[in-house]
Amino acid sequence: MALARMILQRLLWVLPVAFGVVTITFFAARVLGGDPTELYAPPEATDELRAQIRAQLGLADPLWKQYLAYLAALARFDFGTSFTTGESVGADLSARLPATLELGLVGLVIGILAGIPLGVLAAVNRERWPDFLVRGVTLSGMALPQFWIGLVLISIFFVQLRLLPGPVGRLPIGVAPPPPVTGFLLLDAAFAGDWVLWRMAAMQLVLPGVTLGLTTLATVARVTRAAMVEALQSDYIRTAIAMGHGRGMVWFRYGLRNALLPVVTLLGGVAGHIFGGAVLLESIFGWPGLGQYALQAIDHSDFAALQGFVLYASLLYVLAFLLVDILYLLIDPRMRA
Amino acid sequence: MKRSAADATLDPAALPAAPPARRRRAPASWSLRIGAGLLLFYAGVALLSLVWTPYDPLAPGMGDGYLPPSREFLLGTDRLGADILSRLMAGARYDLGITLVAVAIALSIGSALGTIAGYFGGVVDTVISRLVEVFQAFPGLLFAMLIVQAVGPGVPNIILVLSFIGIPDYLRLARAEIRSRRAWPYAEAARMVGNTPWLVAFRHLLPNSAGPLLAFTSINAAFVALVTASLGFLGLGLDPNTPEWGSMIARGQDGVMTGEWWVSFFPGLAILGLTGAFYLLGDALSDLTDPRRRR
Repeated sequence: MALARMILQRLLWVLPVAFGVVTITFFAARVLGGDPTELYAPPEATDELRAQIRAQLGLADPLWKQYLAYLAALARFDFGTSFTTGESVGADLSARLPATLELGLVGLVIGILAGIPLGVLAAVNRERWPDFLVRGVTLSGMALPQFWIGLVLISIFFVQLRLLPGPVGRLPIGVAPPPPVTGFLLLDAAFAGDWVLWRMAAMQLVLPGVTLGLTTLATVARVTRAAMVEALQSDYIRTAIAMGHGRGMVWFRYGLRNALLPVVTLLGGVAGHIFGGAVLLESIFGWPGLGQYALQAIDHSDFAALQGFVLYASLLYVLAFLLVDILYLLIDPRMRA
Repeated sequence: MKRSAADATLDPAALPAAPPARRRRAPASWSLRIGAGLLLFYAGVALLSLVWTPYDPLAPGMGDGYLPPSREFLLGTDRLGADILSRLMAGARYDLGITLVAVAIALSIGSALGTIAGYFGGVVDTVISRLVEVFQAFPGLLFAMLIVQAVGPGVPNIILVLSFIGIPDYLRLARAEIRSRRAWPYAEAARMVGNTPWLVAFRHLLPNSAGPLLAFTSINAAFVALVTASLGFLGLGLDPNTPEWGSMIARGQDGVMTGEWWVSFFPGLAILGLTGAFYLLGDALSDLTDPRRRR
């Protein structure tokens, strides 16, 4: 019950945060931003024409009126209409979310599956060569810009070796996507039973997924190593060794299980990085996700689209932290008291 | 001299034996040496680029476009025939300079606000903490992109935006540090001898929190350097001809697809050295200042 109450409390806390985010983005975009009228008016337009365009874009009212109208619309889950695509922003974002999520999940899975064993490997070999190797990898993974890693991987595996497809998006050019069910191409292709298509989608995912995975695994391995080192020095580990348990048992059953808590805490932040980084990663790989949409919105001073995206991303971010808190509660029995 | 007044009121016999004088400082670790050395090297290159670079970093057509690394152009030329080594050297001014100034501003403002919130508590604390929470709901890079686009291009604007997005983190850390130290005996002693709350907070508690704050500053500088490069890569905030490393990677992006890898490759290594140096330095600083990590 404590769990249910905590979740409810945290969910309610999302509302004021969302309100703050909405307010800040609205004013940041409107007060400081350029005037999109200029983008839509021909240079020789008369003042009347400009005024007409402004009214059409909903920019003629005083600012506070625009703000209230925006809030009222949001309360009905109406994110407004994008100037550039002419579609509802909510629909635009939902259509692009699966692309970003599919890539993000692949990156996260690679990061966890590779990062945790690497962290353990480094910790049990502290101050020996596997440790130095892992520390070098994690340092580079954190210190290198993700977009650069992506470009280098493209340069090696696509341009030089020709092993993997080029950065043209989720499917090779000219290939039609499977009938949409979930929006996740791997799932949709499997539902349609089209394994050729499945393979193509998977191949397109390899390079961006590995790029994202490398940055993720760097952070995961680093935190795992630190937590594991600390765990291995504690009394219960000494007891476990003294009782004659094997090394595997001591490392994984006693050490790793205690070391996992900080790693779980970290995952919320990692999820945030994935959405923030999506903008850069997607522009490298031509990935038609939320990041590309945001970049386009920034280029065109597309207020509604931009605000919608920032709100969307912040909510997902806050939700990721909520999930982490719940996970924490499930893993650590002390928190349930 | 307030300290001696306080000492005089205490009976020395009632005090537990003083701990032995603190051991000599730990030998400089490898991460400290490498990190500090690399930073000095970058600073030196940035200064040198003011007076000398092999070629003019801003001028195109120093050689043909896309010349591979050779004796004449050590790191090759880009699409427009500009010398990459010269541009890398000049870029140190932008990436290192922007990062250092932005981090210094964020550290000063953030730790000042955090000290106030942490020491005085109450309504001020609640308001500040809630605001911080809202700002932290934005993924950092995204927020930077949004405001850079809004306030317009230029190095000063980029610095302002980067320091602005950094403030909440410093604030949160300073607040936590000050709160945890507020009730310590030395804070109590400082109050008892008649220091004003502001003096206690800023003269006694804040300097004692400097270790963790500086360690975080170094780690945060790595992040700021990455965001600077990312903004440059996206073409936000800087003229595309600026020899900033992220912009240079963007300029080489087409070359990567046709096999001219060196245009984008070398600026990435330059970024690796800078951010890596900040990470190493941050690690070394937290090892030095956090007794639990000093094993």
